[in-house]
Amino acid sequence: MKRALFLALSLFLVSCSQDDAPQAPGQIPDTDAAELTLQSRFVEELPTYESLPLPAGLEWVTNVEDPVWSSPEATLGGTFNISVLSFPLTLRTVGPDSNDSFSAYKRYTNLGLVSIHPNTLNFIPQLATHWAFGPDGKTVYYRLDPDARWSDGELVTADDYLFTIDFMRSEHIVAPWYNNHYTNQIVSVIKYDDYTISVEGATAKPKEELLYEYGLNPTPRHFHKLDANWVQDYSWRSEPGTGAYRISRIEKGQFVEFGRQEDWWGNGKRYLAKRFNPDTVRVTVIRDMNVAWEYFLRGEIDAFPVLMPRFWHEKAQGEPFDNGYINRIKFYTDTPQPSAGLWLNTDDPILADRNVRLGLAHAMNIDLLLSTVLRGDYERLKTHHDGYWDYSNPNIQPREFDLQKADEYLDASGFPNRGPDGIRMRDGQRLALRVVYSTQEHTPRLVLLREEAKKAGIELNLQLLDSSAAFKQILEKQHQVAWMAWGIGLTPRFWQHYHSENAHKPQTNNITNTDDPQMDALIMEYRAATDRETRVRLAHQLEQMVHESGVFIPTYKVPYTREAYWRWLRLPEHYASRTTEAIFNPMVEGLFWIDEEIKAETLAAKDRGDTFEVVNIADTTWRIE
Amino acid sequence: MGNEAMKIFRLNPQTKKQWKRFRSIKRGYYSLLGITVLLAMSLVAELLVNNRAVAVRYDGNLYFPTYSAFIPGTEFGLGYEYETNYRELKTHFKGQSANWVLLSPVPYSAFETNFQLDAFPPYSPSFENKHFLGTDVSGRDILARLVYGFRLAMGFSVILLACNYILGIAIGCAMGFWGGVFDLLFQRLIEIWSNVPFLYVIMIVASVVVPTFWTLVTVMVIFGWMGMTWYMRTITYKEKAREYVAAAHALGASNTRIIFRHILPNSISIVVTFIPFSVAAGVTALTALDYLGFGLPPPTPSWGELLAQGTANLQAPWIVTSVVAAMTLVLLMVAYIGEAIREAFDPKKFTFYE
Repeated sequence: MKRALFLALSLFLVSCSQDDAPQAPGQIPDTDAAELTLQSRFVEELPTYESLPLPAGLEWVTNVEDPVWSSPEATLGGTFNISVLSFPLTLRTVGPDSNDSFSAYKRYTNLGLVSIHPNTLNFIPQLATHWAFGPDGKTVYYRLDPDARWSDGELVTADDYLFTIDFMRSEHIVAPWYNNHYTNQIVSVIKYDDYTISVEGATAKPKEELLYEYGLNPTPRHFHKLDANWVQDYSWRSEPGTGAYRISRIEKGQFVEFGRQEDWWGNGKRYLAKRFNPDTVRVTVIRDMNVAWEYFLRGEIDAFPVLMPRFWHEKAQGEPFDNGYINRIKFYTDTPQPSAGLWLNTDDPILADRNVRLGLAHAMNIDLLLSTVLRGDYERLKTHHDGYWDYSNPNIQPREFDLQKADEYLDASGFPNRGPDGIRMRDGQRLALRVVYSTQEHTPRLVLLREEAKKAGIELNLQLLDSSAAFKQILEKQHQVAWMAWGIGLTPRFWQHYHSENAHKPQTNNITNTDDPQMDALIMEYRAATDRETRVRLAHQLEQMVHESGVFIPTYKVPYTREAYWRWLRLPEHYASRTTEAIFNPMVEGLFWIDEEIKAETLAAKDRGDTFEVVNIADTTWRIE
Repeated sequence: MGNEAMKIFRLNPQTKKQWKRFRSIKRGYYSLLGITVLLAMSLVAELLVNNRAVAVRYDGNLYFPTYSAFIPGTEFGLGYEYETNYRELKTHFKGQSANWVLLSPVPYSAFETNFQLDAFPPYSPSFENKHFLGTDVSGRDILARLVYGFRLAMGFSVILLACNYILGIAIGCAMGFWGGVFDLLFQRLIEIWSNVPFLYVIMIVASVVVPTFWTLVTVMVIFGWMGMTWYMRTITYKEKAREYVAAAHALGASNTRIIFRHILPNSISIVVTFIPFSVAAGVTALTALDYLGFGLPPPTPSWGELLAQGTANLQAPWIVTSVVAAMTLVLLMVAYIGEAIREAFDPKKFTFYE
């Protein structure tokens, strides 16, 4: 539960920051300590682990039939420049200060056992070539790719996966969350030979969830000397990874450089080839978004995310765009959406009445919000689980702004009369609801909804709290209405949000206090089911019940990504994939490449004032209507 | 005793002289007139800046919606139950001589969001739409928010001042009058208390509860009463040592009589001199807190919130210009008043003999 919450919170923060410039704390690390060590062997006597006999009757599966989504035209080479807002406090991926805005870069230097094909959504091999499911429903067996190498050339073997467990459970890493996850969620990892392992999770899950939830990364056992000094010693050591890049250079407080491995083992692999193309990725620290934008306009940064309306509508205009030096792309994706909206606490005496909840839903002028304050950039979110592919119930339409319907529901709820200020009354109680939220930039959105809701005789009182105070109030179920978004998972999560076991008590994610025996039964059925068809059917049924209950008023989603990039960055024919989060992240998908010839041509043209054709891509391949 | 306390405020020849002196300092005097007019206007702001009409005539009946309960649209033959949109009503009544609507000069409230179909807010100033200073990023009229923000800030400032001065004068006077251990104890207490970082306290309070008008006043009084004590303590010490106090003592006057009849009237000039600066400080403090987001909860109209919006949206210069101009004007006038008062209360009209 804690983990889900943690994820939810972090994703929520991510989703919040899409439209607000996130200003990382201006903390400057002790720069004297920031000496990079490239040495990669610190352990002489490597830990080794016992092998057990492999159980019989395993059915090994793999996937080499799905289409390759990288471009055959991609070429290696060049330096890709990108910026971040603050310098990392450490290069470690676990332990104190490791979870900062830079950690996404650090983590992607290592690959997982399997990965999800971004278009077909099937699992595909990565560090493992084959996998098999145990009869207990919670164990997955993996056959490892014998070609896999650490970036210092060492072989990646079963022992490195078993070492991950020792490492993650160690108190020396000072990371309680990992200690707990690798003890209570991932119960055991067993070696059968140097290239065969199994991972056992805590609870039985459907197959796809098992692969997703109980994934495991190898840890270089020749690199980590686990002792009381680990946190200090490993702050500025560049950990070898299994991915294409390894941190190769840092300049204190200024930039971190990732170098691509020569002869990377993944170069010849079906799903890894022609990806992660730049030779060098330089991540420069620029502590202000607007300053970074100026660097981008000068061509010192190659690509810039322009998801924020202010950047897209006001900044990404003018000469370099009109002259065709910088291209723009708006790429629709099809991926689970954070559930942004109003969460109603049914334990509240006013909101306990379903008629009030539905009346409130019909009094929320989301369409006006989308077309005015949000500049037509966002789209209406339909349900709690929107964008979960076949799991999402396509028949649910969100409740529209309709004062007549709102009046009908509110009249029926015992709030038929309006007081002297136009707000409905019931036995001397005004229909006033407190909305708690935590992002100051969202105030204009709520102000609009508040004014429109008055027309239905509902008063919304805005309560802006700092995020930890707001979450505390919500998790203790002290709120009336919570304006927030839950993060996403691979499949809908009903138990934590709607099961009665999590209702009426603090520190659980059932913040609506939904308590419905009929739903409980279906949720348990959903949790126990392991075949996809049943789960999809149950998910649709449950989503319908959530919709009927009216405990959640969905607001908006951003089902696309927007980027501006210099024309020397080349993209595959289809630009990006169905689930792309950032087109120009060099380490997650890494589909783009740098064309040095075009770069020289562009820079020369810029000096002379020559122009190119304007490129303004709007791709709707994956748009869901 | 109450009667005696009132005598402080009775016009005596010296006060008359000071008033005359004050009037002769032109910019201070006109600033006082200006502020008074602004305050008076802001007290009846509902008539001047409001989305409710001043008067409506419909079917032979006269309505005055400004200070009354809300009137649903159905009352005027419009097809909705919620509060009448009087601007629309005016257009609706166009051409009907029997029915009319008299709108306020600025026909918007401070809360109402008003959107145009062809553009995104903030909208630039426009006489046609009667958004004389434009709108903010939520489409709310800036002039309306400035006016109601002004009233709130001045109210806040005056209440804060009254509380701070009552506490500060009482404690400061007591310290000076009794002296000794009492004085020593309070001096140390004030020194310690002054070192509590006030902004952190506000931040902590604002993160736990939504600060209301009165929580802000309370917190600011708790950390703001100390300033006055030092001046009152010093002046009380000084006055207490004068012969007329000793004479009053000798005549058998009580401590209360001495304090209220003799010491306070003689120290009042100090208090009066400080008032305008305290008003300015109060306005600035509230604006700063709102600017930082620790002030009054949204959607309260506030200058600080406008300032924050303006600096974040420099491409809409009318937001920041309006609020900065308004603030400069008000603070300048208050400062001029303060300057004139100080002059008027200065016993030395000339600093050297001619």
